[in-house]
Amino acid sequence: MNLGESVRTGFVEIWSHKTRSFLSFSSIAFGVAAILYTFANINYMYERRTKAFEISGPGRMDIQKKQVPGTVTAAALSKGLTTSDAEAIVEAMPWLYMVSPIMRTWADLKDGTFSESVQVEGVTPEWRRRGWVYQMRGRFFDDYDVETAARVAIALEPGGWAGKKPFWARWWKDEGFDLHVKRADLLGKTVTLGDGVYTIVGILKNPPKDKDPRWFFRSGGNILVPLTTAQRYLAGSSETKAYDAVDEIIVDTGNIDTVPRARRRIEALLSGRHRGVTDYEVSDFRETVQNMLENMRKYAVAVLAVGIVAILAGGVGIMNVTLATIFSRIREIGVRRALGATRADILAQFLTEAGLLGILGGIAGIAMGLTGIKYLTDDGPETIAALLWWHFPATLAISAGTALLFALYPAYQASRLDPVEALRYE
Amino acid sequence: MVSIEGVVKVYGDAGGYQALNGISFAIPDGQFAAIMGPSGCGKSTLLNILGLMDQPTRGAYVLDGSPVQDLSDAERTHVRRDKLGFVFQAFNLLPRMTALQNVCLPMGYAGLGRVERRERAKELLKRVGLAGKEHRTPLELSGGERQRVGIARALANRPKLLLADEPTGNLDSKTSVEILTLFRELHKEGMTLLLVTHDPAIAAQADRILRIKDGSVVADEKPARPS
Repeated sequence: MNLGESVRTGFVEIWSHKTRSFLSFSSIAFGVAAILYTFANINYMYERRTKAFEISGPGRMDIQKKQVPGTVTAAALSKGLTTSDAEAIVEAMPWLYMVSPIMRTWADLKDGTFSESVQVEGVTPEWRRRGWVYQMRGRFFDDYDVETAARVAIALEPGGWAGKKPFWARWWKDEGFDLHVKRADLLGKTVTLGDGVYTIVGILKNPPKDKDPRWFFRSGGNILVPLTTAQRYLAGSSETKAYDAVDEIIVDTGNIDTVPRARRRIEALLSGRHRGVTDYEVSDFRETVQNMLENMRKYAVAVLAVGIVAILAGGVGIMNVTLATIFSRIREIGVRRALGATRADILAQFLTEAGLLGILGGIAGIAMGLTGIKYLTDDGPETIAALLWWHFPATLAISAGTALLFALYPAYQASRLDPVEALRYE
Repeated sequence: MVSIEGVVKVYGDAGGYQALNGISFAIPDGQFAAIMGPSGCGKSTLLNILGLMDQPTRGAYVLDGSPVQDLSDAERTHVRRDKLGFVFQAFNLLPRMTALQNVCLPMGYAGLGRVERRERAKELLKRVGLAGKEHRTPLELSGGERQRVGIARALANRPKLLLADEPTGNLDSKTSVEILTLFRELHKEGMTLLLVTHDPAIAAQADRILRIKDGSVVADEKPARPS
């Protein structure tokens, strides 16, 4: 009996037991969907990492302010992280691509009747060098703004959506400042920030939310002002704080290979300047990314495990169905043997039926997986786009292979039936 | 065509139930023979051995000139497929297949092409008087019609020997006569037939009656038949 024949018979059998067949292939389908999702996720993860590296800069390091216990002694020794630290780093290593000190604070923004507490970032022109994903209207700050602590500000506008608002963001609404900045054209306007009056010299429009490549270093600011302006007029009062205190210095060496060298020098330099008080923390950006990737990998492994369990359950389902099929068809097996079917013919027949169930389940699972990814995850379209062509045959092979594997034993049992006994079976 | 010599069949281990006690007989080509006997006499066991569904514990079996008692399972299956045709009491048609598909089944195992299979199956169904009913499933056929499909299926691979186990056991007397007439026609065309029955009226249609009791042939007679 040839394969085409077995396949035809298999379809007839599957079709004549719709419920039973549906149950067994749906469990396979769940497994396949989970596995497909994992494939997609893992690949998307690597794509995003590459992209994130490109945008953030390959040689990025973060120096962050850190609270230390025993503040009184520490304050006597060290002033904390300051603009001077950033300047010292530039002086020691002029070859660094970017040294961008940032100060963060909150201030009340008033524009006519609009009033809200917004997050303000004090930055230098260096800020532009990396992570630039904005569409700019107006101008950015220049060195003159920083030197003179000019009362100028830049507003960040939300990016909205690339296309139609996706399903998962149905309840997303721009509110407060985001809404205001979208409605009122602030460029060139004068607003009140804290207790001073500022001119909005630029508007930075964020990339669309669903296309934003900065998936792990999104800054939370609403308003940018020159660093010195923030330090002088907007900083909260704190007795221990230096006048030029910053919250963070972002460094980019410009090249991934120079990161360890730069890091050692920066640590040595800061250690000297802060007299041994570690009120800062240098983190290699790669570490941050690696940690995040590690978490994602663990997550992917968990999903994969679920997928494997589901597919195994599906396999057991197929085994069950094959056994049930065989029990209800013992007499048929006897008849077929009497009519000239060899053991191999019987084995092939049941394996074909199981294989078909597996393939059907696989196809259903792929459909289910794609639908699930599209509508239930944050980055549906991107995740699907990250699937490679071979993921589909691979998933199909996994499901068909599982089905065949689990059908092997019952099918073998069927082929070993004594034809005389089988014919007599009621 | 068929010759068995001292065939013994013991079920279970040595000392188990002995169904056949060194039975011997020969059926020449083209003969229509009937095997009769009370139930439990070993008829079915004999038929299974003759049909190569089972192996004798001891003894020789020559089918169509070649010894077959020592063949492997696969070899026996192939001989069964190519030289033997089975007609069952319970018809044993596959319920989800049409008459045509049922007749095609043995030819599929013999490796015949799809077109040829269908052609031959149609021919056979016409031969047994079922022209126009090829696409009905067994459920849509009467008992007699089902048995005709069964006979057509048994003839599918042009067997040398047709084995029928109580072929009229599930049919009423009128239909039985029709089926028997069909057997007689096949016999006239030169088919060797071996029919197991316990109905004397049916056995009387054969050329020869072998009476079996307790696993041995107790009588080998020619029926007195008005011709």
